[in-house]
Amino acid sequence: MANDQGSAEDEPPSLLWGLDPVFSAYARLYIKDILQMRESRQVPGIYFYKNHPLFQVDVLGTVVYKREREDFYCYGVDDSTGVINCLCWKDEKWRNQGDSVRGSSHGGVFNVEEQLRKLCEAQRIGCMLEIGDLLRVRGSLKTSREQREIMASSFYKVSDPVMDVQIARMLDMPQLYRDCYNKPFQVPCGELEAGTTDAGGPSNIQSLLGQSVCILKEFLKEKEVPKFRPYDVEYLLHPLIRSPVPSTSTGQESTSVGPSFPTQVKNLLKETLKLLQREGEIFRKVLSPDELYHVTEQDKDLLAAIRDVIREDSKREKYAEKGCHILHVLSSVRQRYSRNLSREALEVALKFLECNSDIISTTDSHYTVL
Amino acid sequence: MLPSPAVFHFLWEINTHLVKDGASVRTFGRLTSYLPEESKAVLTSHHASVQHQVSVQTTFVEPFDPIIGAQYFTLGEIDKSEGCSEATLRARVLNCVDGVDVALLQKAINEQRNFFKGRDDEAGAQ
Repeated sequence: MANDQGSAEDEPPSLLWGLDPVFSAYARLYIKDILQMRESRQVPGIYFYKNHPLFQVDVLGTVVYKREREDFYCYGVDDSTGVINCLCWKDEKWRNQGDSVRGSSHGGVFNVEEQLRKLCEAQRIGCMLEIGDLLRVRGSLKTSREQREIMASSFYKVSDPVMDVQIARMLDMPQLYRDCYNKPFQVPCGELEAGTTDAGGPSNIQSLLGQSVCILKEFLKEKEVPKFRPYDVEYLLHPLIRSPVPSTSTGQESTSVGPSFPTQVKNLLKETLKLLQREGEIFRKVLSPDELYHVTEQDKDLLAAIRDVIREDSKREKYAEKGCHILHVLSSVRQRYSRNLSREALEVALKFLECNSDIISTTDSHYTVL
Repeated sequence: MLPSPAVFHFLWEINTHLVKDGASVRTFGRLTSYLPEESKAVLTSHHASVQHQVSVQTTFVEPFDPIIGAQYFTLGEIDKSEGCSEATLRARVLNCVDGVDVALLQKAINEQRNFFKGRDDEAGAQ
């Protein structure tokens, strides 16, 4: 039920919202449900129906309230389950139109200006509604002064002389709820089926990787980890991989049904670390058999080295005006600190230092200190 | 500020206990009479071989072009306090919908009702 209030923990993580088709659609919900939806705790402005994240809606109803301002109309729309305000902006084009179109046709010659004026007039009339008219609105949901409102991105008066449109909508909605809105949003949990690693195809792997990257990043940030080895963090990924369900036929070893649990974890960890390196979040200071990773933002020595390079070189005449180019910083820090430092890791570190106001960027790729 | 939502009701339900005094409703029926001096119209509907009717106060929706015998859709508040046997609907909206498929409209209303009833039952059971 729409009113089933879950806590913030029940919300799917915002990273995955794009996977729910409802999120990208204009949801056709009853106004009653729209008014009762709870707002997300992760991102204000997004609302949840059951566990579907959404912020755009599509309503059809009778206008029961109208308020006109210079720039917009505010229509109160009633679909028999609830009433909601819709803010419908006036089109600038209409203001410059004169009064009703003068019917002067030039004896059969197609006058473009005339037609254009008639079109604008028709558009304007289509958007001017009175109480009792049927209005269709698509727009985004907002809560303003504790009231839910729809900021219309498109709206029009519906001509419905024999109530066909309203009847069709009334018949469609329950089915739409059953097929779509009442079905929970399945957050892919990366369950690899026993027997095949490719279950679900690439999308399954991607979402799994996305989750593992998230988990690792959060862990490193929370615990302020300066460096680590793979086996230190391996356990974090265990919840993502389910061990294969024991096969129903007896006498089959789990290894023959597919990669074993430890192998899956190792592979996932390898991919995750590769990705994090590519993003510059972690790096290996020294390439040796010992697989030791430094966390870029936590590596005080690296940050100090970068700061020193920029500070010293900014004093030189060559860099005084514009600051040091990132490539210059990169080669200096490589000499000073680590030959293997990647540009991506440097960029992450520079961003961190800039956020802390230790350095400032003068252009997209130049840095200096004050 | 914003009026209450007007729930769909059939004409024959209006004079029963299902619809309370002051409730906002929307309904439909055939226009059988209209007295402009009194701002009073009457909508009727047949159900289970009985003719039901409701008085509609048309003050807010005048002037309108009355087509006697045509189907009309109306929305407004129910007034049962007068002591008369018949309820009055103070119309905020009165639209001619002649040609409407009454049977289909009825089906749609029931479909919507069943859906909400099913939802409330589920919620009640939880």
